[in-house]
Amino acid sequence: MKKLGKFYHYPFPYSKKNTPVKYKIRKKFKSMKESFHNKAGDLMMEKDWSYHQKVASIGFFGGLFWSCVSYALHYLNFTKYGPAMAMLPWALPEWKNTYLGHLAGIVFIALLSIAVAFLYRFLFQKFYSIWPGIGFGAGLWILVFYLLQPLFPGVGPVNSLDTNTVVTTLCLFVLYGVFIGYSIGYEHHRLGQESA
Amino acid sequence: MIRRMKWRLRSLQPNHHKNNQAEGQGETPISKDIELNEKILKERLGIGTSFDVGVRKLDILGKEIQIYFVTGLCDIEYIIEILKELMDLEARRRRTDNVKEAIENHLTHVQVEYKETLEDCIVEMLSGLIFILVEDEDEAFVIDVRNYPGRGPEEPDNEKVIRGARDGYTENIIENTGLTRRRIRDERLRHEIMRVGVRSKTDICIAYIDGIADPKLVDIIKKELENIEVDGLPMAEKVVEEYMVNQGGNPFPLVRYTERPDVAAVHLFEGHVVVMVDASPSVIITPTTLFHHVQHAEEYRQAPFIGTFVKWIRFFGMFASIFILPLWLLMVLEPNLLPDELAYIGPSEDANVSEFMQIFLADVGLELLRMAAIHTPSALTTALGLVAALLIGEIAIEVGLFTSEVVLYVALSAIGSYANPSYELGIAFKMIRLFLLVVVVSFGSIGFVIACTVIFLMLARIRSLNKPYLWPFLPFDVRELWQIAIRTTVPNLRKRPAIVDPQDTVKQVSE
Repeated sequence: MKKLGKFYHYPFPYSKKNTPVKYKIRKKFKSMKESFHNKAGDLMMEKDWSYHQKVASIGFFGGLFWSCVSYALHYLNFTKYGPAMAMLPWALPEWKNTYLGHLAGIVFIALLSIAVAFLYRFLFQKFYSIWPGIGFGAGLWILVFYLLQPLFPGVGPVNSLDTNTVVTTLCLFVLYGVFIGYSIGYEHHRLGQESA
Repeated sequence: MIRRMKWRLRSLQPNHHKNNQAEGQGETPISKDIELNEKILKERLGIGTSFDVGVRKLDILGKEIQIYFVTGLCDIEYIIEILKELMDLEARRRRTDNVKEAIENHLTHVQVEYKETLEDCIVEMLSGLIFILVEDEDEAFVIDVRNYPGRGPEEPDNEKVIRGARDGYTENIIENTGLTRRRIRDERLRHEIMRVGVRSKTDICIAYIDGIADPKLVDIIKKELENIEVDGLPMAEKVVEEYMVNQGGNPFPLVRYTERPDVAAVHLFEGHVVVMVDASPSVIITPTTLFHHVQHAEEYRQAPFIGTFVKWIRFFGMFASIFILPLWLLMVLEPNLLPDELAYIGPSEDANVSEFMQIFLADVGLELLRMAAIHTPSALTTALGLVAALLIGEIAIEVGLFTSEVVLYVALSAIGSYANPSYELGIAFKMIRLFLLVVVVSFGSIGFVIACTVIFLMLARIRSLNKPYLWPFLPFDVRELWQIAIRTTVPNLRKRPAIVDPQDTVKQVSE
């Protein structure tokens, strides 16, 4: 083992030592497709399966938790829109504006977040850091409040919203992005370490 | 940055380190001339100057022997026993050619070692062993007759339980390893000992179970400890902690301390590494995350349902200790945030002092009170409590300094932070609370939201010993978080926590 300095954090996630592992996984993945009954391949498949399970659970619980937080913040009037905002585009009866709408919104966001988590997994899974998560969350916020804004009846363009709402929703999206991003990055990092 | 520069400066002076070594740790072989040895030792140990270092000379079978000792650290009974036997040997006057062997065969003790340099002998002697020099021999006998002043195992003051073991670690590292081994009779339990500190030569013991603990982690901790080059560690485990983890300006505790051997044993079984430092009853458990600090042995001494209940009450208290005051202040400053159902919150009468100053004064006053309570002799604490309760609780309200609502919320958050099992974490939460209060009064609700986000992100970024600090909440792991939220029954706990990267992940095999 090489000499360790004072500022040493072991093992640095993307040192050269670790990078080939990723390709090794891909190679194994390819060979797995070719010989399906290969035992190592089976093991890989099992690991892959549990990794995807983890990603799904991260997405689900991330959506659940942060939409609950957003409900609490909405209750305390930090933001004008609670989780019920997710139900606005759908043609639903009047209950979508009551607390039932918020509950339905929480469940819907939790389910939708599974897809979001897989999106992150395919885009940035190899980064084991909180920064891509922050960027991802901010990106989602821009997507929802700028690009998809016409879909939400009753939600005006961003410059018409009050500062409290803008800041709170942005912070929530960032935290949500970090939750999903950092968790997936960590799982991927561990996967790489295990097969190393 | 500054640390790095200092480090560089140090590495630029290559002689510094070597000189130090030459002064302190050169090798002086034991000479066959016993008078030369005596002269060197007398000068180096200051025999005659310090009263507690001494030498006893005897004439055995025509050869002079010298016994060196430190009075405070040896058990005199054992030494007398050894002296008796040696004098007996002399009295019998059975002449022999090999005096050294004769003496060796009459050392009435199990732990006898042989040393060839004076430095080794001195280090051993200063740890409480004695060494015997024999005329015309270049080897010394070192005999372990240590008996350190200290107390017996007692229940630690800040980790009391209603049921369960009442023993606690003491200041004696040997006793501490014994207390651990009483609970782990596993042949794979490893107690690696090393001496740290150029002058103090403090014993540090790294305990782990071979085959469970991550060997990489053990290596790192060993390397970090070996790299310590300080003159002494009088503050024991706290100094070691600061070398092991990079604390910086972060107020949160990065390692967990315990004085309970059963808690240490539980963590060893989970694959943690425990570091014990001589002369301190607190041992370091590592690696640690935030959630290690919110658990207490008491939960595991009660039925699972009760344990879970206690846990949740504690979580609520901790949450309240951070957020209740800043949120209340925010609601007072910006009443439009209050939902209709909670409209009664907020001071009804006008106060003479602004709410922020009230909270700040009460909180700081409480901290003062706590400090005063530590220094007050126990006979006077009742008086102190009375003064405090009357002054802050009653009269301050009557005078018009505080409103009663402020006193209520300050008291609530104080109780919440005392319910925290980790004293260090309680203080860190207090810092966060004061910071949030300042932010709320300066920037209002926007500041509050942003500050909370930033604090959360800062916590998420911490990786001490390469373990994410908020695990298992972030990075999220549903199964492990469940173990923290709910106190499950032990038969249901089949796996060790993944955070320590255990080599053997399964705790018990399901049938």
